Parts: sequence; C-alpha cells; structure tokens
Amino acid sequence: MGKLSDALLHLDKQRVLTIVAEDLQRGRDPLEMIEEAREGLELVGAEFEKGNLFLMELMRAAQIFKSAAEFINPKIRERYEKTGAKGKVLIGTVAGDVHDLGKGIVSSLLECAGYEVIDLGVDVAVDLFLEKIREHRPQVVGMSGLLTTSIPVMKGTAEAISKSGLREEVKLIVGGGIVGEIDPLELGVDYSAKSASEGVRIIEGWIKRK
Amino acid sequence: MDQEEMKTREKISRYERLEAAWNLEKADRVPVAPILCYIIPYLGRITIREMFFEPEKLIQATVACLDIIGDNIDPNITTLDHLSLLGKSGWDQATLDWRIWDDFPPRGNIPSFFEKPVLEDYDDVIEKGFSTILFNRKLKQIFSRKWDDFLFYEFEFPKEYAQAWSKFVEEYEIPLLMGGRACHPLDLLQYYRGINLLIEDIFERPQKVHEMSEFLLEYEIKRAMEQAVLMGAGRVPGAEVIFFINGGPPGMSPKIFEEFFWPYAKKAIDTFVNCGFKVWCHWDNDLTPHLQKMRTIGDGLPRGKIVLDFEKTEMKKAKEILGDRVCLYGNVPSSLLVYGTVEEVEAYSKKLIQECAEGGGYILGTECEVPWNAKRENVRAMIKAAEKYGKY
Repeated sequence: MGKLSDALLHLDKQRVLTIVAEDLQRGRDPLEMIEEAREGLELVGAEFEKGNLFLMELMRAAQIFKSAAEFINPKIRERYEKTGAKGKVLIGTVAGDVHDLGKGIVSSLLECAGYEVIDLGVDVAVDLFLEKIREHRPQVVGMSGLLTTSIPVMKGTAEAISKSGLREEVKLIVGGGIVGEIDPLELGVDYSAKSASEGVRIIEGWIKRK
Repeated sequence: MDQEEMKTREKISRYERLEAAWNLEKADRVPVAPILCYIIPYLGRITIREMFFEPEKLIQATVACLDIIGDNIDPNITTLDHLSLLGKSGWDQATLDWRIWDDFPPRGNIPSFFEKPVLEDYDDVIEKGFSTILFNRKLKQIFSRKWDDFLFYEFEFPKEYAQAWSKFVEEYEIPLLMGGRACHPLDLLQYYRGINLLIEDIFERPQKVHEMSEFLLEYEIKRAMEQAVLMGAGRVPGAEVIFFINGGPPGMSPKIFEEFFWPYAKKAIDTFVNCGFKVWCHWDNDLTPHLQKMRTIGDGLPRGKIVLDFEKTEMKKAKEILGDRVCLYGNVPSSLLVYGTVEEVEAYSKKLIQECAEGGGYILGTECEVPWNAKRENVRAMIKAAEKYGKY
C-alpha cells in the first residue's frame, strides 16, 4: 500500500495533504496520485463493508479524498488536458421528500470513485428527472427518499421514465430508509439498495459491464 | 364488579402494566405502545395547522383513534416545541420543512429535515443563545408572528395544551407517553450543521463540538423538565417521563459514540432521574455496535426509571446485554406497518415478544413512530399480538 492510500485509510487528513503537496512538488504523475487516493478510499470502503469502519468514517474518508482531489485535479487537467469520467449518474431525492443525507453520501462516493454525478437535489419533480435525463444522457438514474410516501413517488417516476421512452437507456436504482426492503420489480426499477455503499457497488458494476 | 370498579381497575392495570415493565417486572401481559404522532391527525382528518394550534381538535382526533392506541399515548409534545420560540433550542423551526402546514393528508409527508447548515458559528450561539438562529434574517422565517401571538404561544398556550391532555388522560384512562422532550446535543448539531459539516467538526474541531454539546445539553435538560412539570409531572400519569431523542447521527464509530454521544447521553439520563423524572430514550439508527458501552446505563440510579427505545438496533442482543438493567422498547418495522399484512405484523410482533419479553422489562413498540400512512388494521394487529402472545 502506498503512503497516500495508507494515510487515507487512517483518516489522517493532515498527512494526506502533506503527501499530496510533497508529491506534486516532486513532479509525481497526478493521475497516479489520484488513483492511489482512490485505492485508499476503496480500502476504507472494504473495511466499512466488513464492519470495521462506520458510516461517519466512510464519509470522513470521502471528505479527505475531495480535499486531496482539489489539489491533484488541476494538475491532471494541466498535464492531460481532460480525462473522461468513468460514467455518468443522475441522482435526486424524489418529489415530496427533502432528505439529502443518503443521496449526498452516494453522490460523494460516486464522485470519489471517478464518476460524473449530476445531483438534482431534493424534492425533484418527475418532469425534472425526465428533462435532465434527456439533457445529460446518464447510464444510471438514482432515486432517493427516506419517507414511506416516497415509495409510490419512485414508482411513478420510474413509470414516467418508461413512458417517455428513456427506460432502455438507463438503469434505475432506488435507496434510502426502508426503500431497500421493497422489491425492485414492484417499483419498476432495477435495484433497491439497502445502503449507500451497496448502491455504489451496484452502479459501478452496471457501468463497468456497459 | 360494577362499571365504576371496572373502570378503576382498567386505569390501574394500564398504568401499572407499563410501570411493571419499567421496573423490569411482569404484569398481566407485555404492554404495547405504538407511537402515534402524525397518523392521528391524518386519521382524525385534521390539518397539521389544527393539530398544532387547536389542542381540542387534536384530542378529538385522538379519540377517533382509540382502537389503535395501546397502553399509553404520545401527547404530541413536539407541538409545544414547535410553537415556542424560546421553549427549545429552535431546531424544529429552523431545520424543518413546513410546507405541509395546510396540506393534510400531505402530498409530501410529516415535516422533514433540510440537510443544510443553519448554524455558522458555534461561539455566536454559546455567547448569545439561540436568538442568533431564530431571528437570523438570512434564514427562512418559518414561525414569524406578531408579538401578541408570540407571547400567547410562549406563555398561555402551553397551559391550555397541558390542560387538554390532562383531561384526556383522566377521561380515557390512558397515561401519557411523555411530559417533556429533550434532544441529544449531537442530534441537534446534526440538524444545525448538516451531517457533512458535523463530521468535519468532530474530526477537525472536537473541542468546539464538546463546548457546544455542554451548552446544548444544559439547555435541553432544563427546558424538558420545565415542560414535564407544566404537563403535570407527579399528577398526570406519564407526564413525569422525559422523551430523550434521537440516538445520534447514523453510523457513529465506537470512538465517536464513546467520546461525543455516550457521556452526554448518560449525563442527561442521570440528571433527569436524579431530579425525580423518568427517561424514555427514543434512539434511532442501529446502535447494536454500542450496546456493550451502554452497560453503564443506570449505574447508581434507582431501578425502573429508564426505557431504551430502539429503531434499528437488534432487540435480541439488546435484551441479552441490557435486559437486566433497563426496560426495552421496539421495534416493529415501519415498512411492515405500511406495506405488510396483518399476518406479517402479528408474526413480527410475536418474534419480538419471544426475544425480549422473558422476565418482564419489555414494551412492544414501533420502529420510531407509526408512519401516518400505516394501515390501521396493521397497527391494531400489533396491539392484538401483545394481548395474544404477551401474556405472562
């Protein structure tokens, strides 16, 4: 394990930023650095899955990663002009629900894993989902919601996506609160995630296969 | 037995049944207490506005729901918090979405949290109090009102509210679930700062989080006890109970739990009990990893003063680890109450009773509260399950 990923695994922000500053000064390839930081984040994710780390630590790791990326990304752009994201995910909390937490975690983890995330925010109307799918053409659409009343709204949004002819283009995933306990077929979606990290894993799997 | 005697006996048995559970003893059966907050206005066909401003209408709505009330009733004390700008730390007003005020049954749901920071500067609040949040013009003014109204809802309305519930308890012989409500500082900080900033604070400014937690805790303890006294603690059955929410942010590590949650939780519990109150800890999320740490709960306190009400925590483990110290409450899933069948609710309730009720010290309850859109027959099934499977 590299020292950058090790520092990230230990949630040591100061050490991560020091290593980043030193490595950049030494002229280390920033692309290699961001990949190493991602490895660190993946290790944190693996420890989280095993129950050795907890959600707040996972979120802390994502915060540290983002702080590091703020220094590394401009150098990547300088050297390689533009690097494409691994894939595009559109995400939002469905209409009538203003809960942001779960969606925020998923967005954050996806961004850290190298995906472009179009976050529509909370209380997102069905029409806005449709409009933004047409505009951004994501591979995956994520719908979040904590409330039990969000479940029929998710179903309605999935139906609207189907009716608009966009369903073939996108995989649909839902999550938040009790949503993970609902059969995805009942909601007309491809997957109901029980946790943010499970959702991210499923999305990554889909995009890799595409 | 004449009717009056029967009434008296029922009154005693209902309260005593709960008392026995608090005391880790067995009564005639396992008590059952679904927490009914927003489902009552929904089924009683009143708006949230009416629920807040007109206690008599809320009571009428409650009466219309007697078939789904278990052994006690949530007097919806949050109403008092929401209306009183000085009464609590203001999180309800500042951090909740109130669009559904006149819209019930709602298109959305019960008031929901905005995940956005409303507290910029800890020192500002520590030095000047919550006016810095409540009267901050940059924030959406949710409860802005005329001075006359402000004074009425601050000082007169709570008395009317308490009177209405006291009358309900007397008339229907159903004790209150709580008389006052306090919020754990770490929950408050999550509401004020949002989870992301709170995590940053914990890792980068831990001392500030501690200072703020001390400040918030003192405030919450004092106000909750005042509220309970107002609601009739010592006179109205159940009003002596402080409802202590919410179990901290999701996914605390053991280190965070031990440093930022548990010491303040324990201090609050100890203070309430030492001041003569009882504490109903209504703690959300999955606290299973922290059950061992909670073993010090109740140390040095008289028995029968604490209920631990868990949302996602494994009840069987909780019984194993804490069952000899405190009464446990929980946790029929919300999803079952909304989407499940009567049979599924009954089976789940039976399982909980089998896992937790042995020897006493258990109240069959909900996972957090009954969602407003739960099926009425499912809530009834839970109550019936306590009668059917919970006999001692």
